[in-house]
Amino acid sequence: MFDAVEFEQEATAALREQLDGPAVIALSGGVDSTVAAVLAHKAAPTALTAVFVDTGYMRKDESARIRAMLEPLGMQLRIVDAAARFYAQLAGVTDPEVKRKRIGATFIEVFAAVAAEIDAKVLVQGTIAPDWIESGGGLRDTIKSHHNVGGLPADLGRLRLVEPLRDLYKDEVRTLARHLKLPNAERQPFPGPGLAIRVLGEATPKRTATVREAVAIVEEEFEAAAGRKEMELPWQYFAALLPVRTVGVHGDLRAYGEVIVVRAVQSLDGMTAAYSKIPHSVLERISIRITNSLRHDVNRVVFDVTNKPPGTIEWE
Amino acid sequence: MTLRIYVVDNGGQWTHREWRMLRYLKVDTKIVPNTTPLEQLDVDGLVLSGGAPRISGEGIPMGESAHYVEDASFPILGICLGCQFIAQQLGGTAVSATTAEFGKTECIVDDPNELLAGLPSRFTVWESHNDEIVQLPPDLALLAHSENCGVQAIAHRRRPLFGTQFHPEVEHTEHGREIFENFLRVCRG
Repeated sequence: MFDAVEFEQEATAALREQLDGPAVIALSGGVDSTVAAVLAHKAAPTALTAVFVDTGYMRKDESARIRAMLEPLGMQLRIVDAAARFYAQLAGVTDPEVKRKRIGATFIEVFAAVAAEIDAKVLVQGTIAPDWIESGGGLRDTIKSHHNVGGLPADLGRLRLVEPLRDLYKDEVRTLARHLKLPNAERQPFPGPGLAIRVLGEATPKRTATVREAVAIVEEEFEAAAGRKEMELPWQYFAALLPVRTVGVHGDLRAYGEVIVVRAVQSLDGMTAAYSKIPHSVLERISIRITNSLRHDVNRVVFDVTNKPPGTIEWE
Repeated sequence: MTLRIYVVDNGGQWTHREWRMLRYLKVDTKIVPNTTPLEQLDVDGLVLSGGAPRISGEGIPMGESAHYVEDASFPILGICLGCQFIAQQLGGTAVSATTAEFGKTECIVDDPNELLAGLPSRFTVWESHNDEIVQLPPDLALLAHSENCGVQAIAHRRRPLFGTQFHPEVEHTEHGREIFENFLRVCRG
């Protein structure tokens, strides 16, 4: 089994060697990067600047929530609003790999700018095993370029990567987060590229706003149903917006809108996943709320019943 | 005595998951490239991982794997592509599957052998393969099959060579840890 105490000792000892000067920590507010940041902070507290990037592809109220969660951790924290840059980079882009690579490159530009200011030569990331496995390389096929691995530009300039969690999976990182008493240990996974990969097709600000609302509805309804003991909370659950239009009828008028897919899976490590058997009453409430509140953009809701493999958890 | 069992990387999505399984079983393990010369493998056993290369393709990049299968004195467990490769190397046939299997499948045991000892006669396994073994050489015994795939597990009749088409290393496969424990028992000798 995974031994969090032993891992923490080994990782902080290694980090003390690796962090030999000022360093930037990429901090998304998720459990992986928060654990990496806390370990780095324990190893070398004085020379670190944690950077949180608001990409414009965050969930509803997410930036404020993350800021409130991160501030008590006592790190030097820099918050960068880069939404306009990310939107500009993704204008007209529909290919998921191009999206992921542009997002990875834009993240690095932001981190490199902060690194230059504080004379840092090290970038600490919360990369975990599935990130580099799925990003491919050598004999391994590229399933998707994770923004922090396959999405990175080939040349990181003067920045050297330090990734203390490279050999861990999500369940092990959570064990470590509980051991470190972090408030976000149980937070569900959220991809680094954010809502940009939950908007299939072009991730315009408008379509992103649509999926943001749908994701919020799915999260609220699942969490409420789990609280009422109607279902178990899935390992990961969200909505994605599909660039497919279907015909509907709204108050005796023809409707022609896009489709929201609801995805919920049970997993341990993200490397295999079974679709969650959600009660129809919960799915129906979600369907009604989404089609009513997003009526100008969405007129149909479907539920994804694909395991991983052959699907992946996210749609892009 | 701590067992030393390495994982040969053939480019699988779950190669690192095999490494994790072995670590959890307190084995001294690491992932090595499939180009590692046999003479450099001072181990008690070897896992041949699955991978993206297609056994039905030409000139697949299996490195030194043929050498391991032909000449190793230690036990080998081939998984997915690793299993297909063992069968093909010993004279069997693997081709593009008529029906591929991805995700959940039921494994039906025909002969438990050492590898599937103590397991139920039917259990849920997870798969991810485009190719399949369609003919076994005389030296390999069939241990299990599924509805759409005739060969789900194999064992050599005289040497400690084993294979599974399914993936015992992933979370959703039932009894995967027990299959690894059975393999470790063979490695312990």
